[in-house]
Amino acid sequence: MRRISMAMRVRAATTQVRDRVITRRRRLRPRSRLATRLIALLAILGPGLIAANAGNDAGGIATYASVGAKYGYDLLWMMVVITVSLIVVQEMAARMGAVTGKGLAELIREQYGVRWAMFSTVSVLFANLGICISEFVGIGAALNLAGVPFQVSVPIAAVVVWLLVVRGSYKVAERVFVLMTIPFFAYPIAAILAHPHWGAVGKAIVAPQIQLNSAYLFLFIATAGTTITPFMQLYVQSAVVEKGLGPEDLKAERAEVISGSIFANLIAMFIIIATGATLFVHGDHTVNNAADAARALRPFAGRFAEALFGVGLLGASLLAAAILPVTAAYVIAETFGFEKGISHRPREAPVFVGVITTLIAIGTLVAIIPGVPVIKLLVGVQVVNGVLLPITLFFVWRLASNRELMGEYANGHTFNLLAGATVLATSTLSLLLLGVTFSGSL
Amino acid sequence: MESSVASTPHVLHLSLVVGGELRDRSGAKLGRVDDLIVRLGEDEYPPVTGLLATVAGRQVFVAADEVEEIDHRRVTIRGLRLDLQPFRRRPQEVLLKKDVLDRQLINVDGARLVRSNDIEIARLGGWYRVVGVDVGLRGLLRRLAPRALAGSVGAGEFLDWALVEPFTGHVPTVRLRVPHPKLARLHPAQLADLVEAASHREGEEIIEAVGDDPDLEADVFEELEAHHQLEFLEERSDEQVAKVLARMESDDAADLVAELPEERREDVVEMLPAVQRRRVRALLGYDAATAGGLMSPDFVCVYSQATHSEVLERVRVSRGSAEALAWIYVMSTHKRLTGAVALADLLRADQELRIGDIAGVPRHVRPDADLEEVSRLMTDYDLTVVPVVDEEERLIGVITVDDVLELVLPKGWRRRFGVLGED
Repeated sequence: MRRISMAMRVRAATTQVRDRVITRRRRLRPRSRLATRLIALLAILGPGLIAANAGNDAGGIATYASVGAKYGYDLLWMMVVITVSLIVVQEMAARMGAVTGKGLAELIREQYGVRWAMFSTVSVLFANLGICISEFVGIGAALNLAGVPFQVSVPIAAVVVWLLVVRGSYKVAERVFVLMTIPFFAYPIAAILAHPHWGAVGKAIVAPQIQLNSAYLFLFIATAGTTITPFMQLYVQSAVVEKGLGPEDLKAERAEVISGSIFANLIAMFIIIATGATLFVHGDHTVNNAADAARALRPFAGRFAEALFGVGLLGASLLAAAILPVTAAYVIAETFGFEKGISHRPREAPVFVGVITTLIAIGTLVAIIPGVPVIKLLVGVQVVNGVLLPITLFFVWRLASNRELMGEYANGHTFNLLAGATVLATSTLSLLLLGVTFSGSL
Repeated sequence: MESSVASTPHVLHLSLVVGGELRDRSGAKLGRVDDLIVRLGEDEYPPVTGLLATVAGRQVFVAADEVEEIDHRRVTIRGLRLDLQPFRRRPQEVLLKKDVLDRQLINVDGARLVRSNDIEIARLGGWYRVVGVDVGLRGLLRRLAPRALAGSVGAGEFLDWALVEPFTGHVPTVRLRVPHPKLARLHPAQLADLVEAASHREGEEIIEAVGDDPDLEADVFEELEAHHQLEFLEERSDEQVAKVLARMESDDAADLVAELPEERREDVVEMLPAVQRRRVRALLGYDAATAGGLMSPDFVCVYSQATHSEVLERVRVSRGSAEALAWIYVMSTHKRLTGAVALADLLRADQELRIGDIAGVPRHVRPDADLEEVSRLMTDYDLTVVPVVDEEERLIGVITVDDVLELVLPKGWRRRFGVLGED
């Protein structure tokens, strides 16, 4: 038998290749540096932006609107401080995710034992359930501005959110989450429409106006509390892990966390400016919730401003309504070692999907049942979050500076001091809020 | 799963042993038990080789031969005095509480990652050994319950240690290369799933463990998704990367080379063995999404006058995969592809016939055919292998159904662990 040698066959193939290479070389064609960078940035746009923006939810908008209505631009300087704190904290969580490949709850269990892990898990579950309810209330309120009854809008929104999180792949879900931040641009527009005195705005940012009365302090603390929330650290770390980012992606992910946090807090500042330029100026100092804020804008900034506020509220609430159940599910799966990840189907990760489904279902039900004391519930949530935040932050800080765990990526000396100070300050504010809430003196 | 040792009369729970009293022979309290030390490695059930205790505010090491009895809440030593010595980790030793409890382990039975809620110890063959891991609710309850109540949470089902491989990469000091023999029982695809589910460091440990068998390591790499392949090759030198690539199927190797950073591609390809290098270079010229990019150069093609036994001999010496060899191709003296016959049909055919007489008309594609065309051809003609030919109709490669299936599987049917894992 005559054989054709391997070499002959390969030679044939190689000749073939040579002809082909001239006409088309897609796989070997080098990309330009700029294009590569741009693609890398887009691919990485995600966890930091999503986590920070989920903080601008119904509760957040109500708080920022109250700040603007009551004190005008006076508290704007504080947003700068809070932004720096948020970046410090979020960067540590994202870095831990990239370096260890593990979620925060997982690390807490491995390093501090099952009791602390259990405590955090139960607290996160309750806190997130509470906030989740408020998001669905927010969705209902936003669509109510457009005349849709909440008994209709809330269940539809719940189904959409559930499908997105449970049935979509991670890539799709993340893209939609990122797209959900587009409605936030409504606030800068609303702020411009409200014709603020930009000079006064600039002055308020650089020259702090500190008042030493309890109402001022309360709003200060409440704003810090709503801007830095435990679920943000938990989400950003778990999402970085699920996305498969490693130490080599750290630079890009750090940039993403920083830009995401700045974007989110700029939005918050625009909410304060919008309400400060209208409600405060016209002496309307009380805002009870986000929908109130939208309605209140109307006489001063017109119908358009009201609509914009509604759109922003809807986007924010939808985003947070998706992120909160996911975060709770990550934490539970990590603590107990269940299969996890929004890229899984229900069959593959039953507990993970079960937690998401339960949270969304309860959130929807409570939001559409009339007569549920939502305000009281939110106070309760604030208490749980107030207890949880110092603990979460302490763990983030200690774990991120643990050399055995983080190796060369552990906190540097100077950064560690800054992080420690941030954790201490934020925790103190959080505990103060707790005290104030309990004493009910305000 | 229910284990064989679950019926051992006295199973001790690690959570109830640590924190207990350290007593001398007379029953007097000496200190507190902090952790148990076991040696992983040869034994199926790792023996306790000592313990850490706090005595008078100092942490001391108590060697196993000083210990009389280990029980819940108390460990009794043989003598009346302790030979105080500091703890130095010996090779393959781990601390049960610090290094194993609450951490992930590989459950070899079913290839899953589990988290240990408690660790079960029993007297086996005259000495205390780790017999299993509690991954269930009871272990968790025992850990969470107040100390007074914890003892009343009885032993439930637990995972036999014979089915478990712990991760030891996080254990400091000695980079003790604890062998993971049980991993060899798993299929490369299962190992790849574990690597993808675990954190980077743990995944590295799995790959290192299978690294003793370079063929298995290459198989695992073939099964990994592109961004995970890169994740674990990035830290390796060009030479090490080439070593792995050399043992992979050429088409998978070419795909992986295409994923490497541009500046490394040429260096890595240059280090491949001659045959693999030529194949990879050839395959790299094609677009990954076309027949040219999908095909593998491993196939058997014979002249039409070849006899039955000659063809079978060619199959025997071929290095192609079983999937690719399901079909034998026939060519004319001008090397034009003229026929194709399934291996099974060939075996059933009359041994006297020449292969040219048995072979049927070959359904083939050109290298620029897209995935749709290839899969349609496979479906229409019930093919598991599609031959790819050049302009002169010479066979240059074959596409097997497994490579096509991988690409046509609907989104979400395959696990994805991240954005970069798709495409």
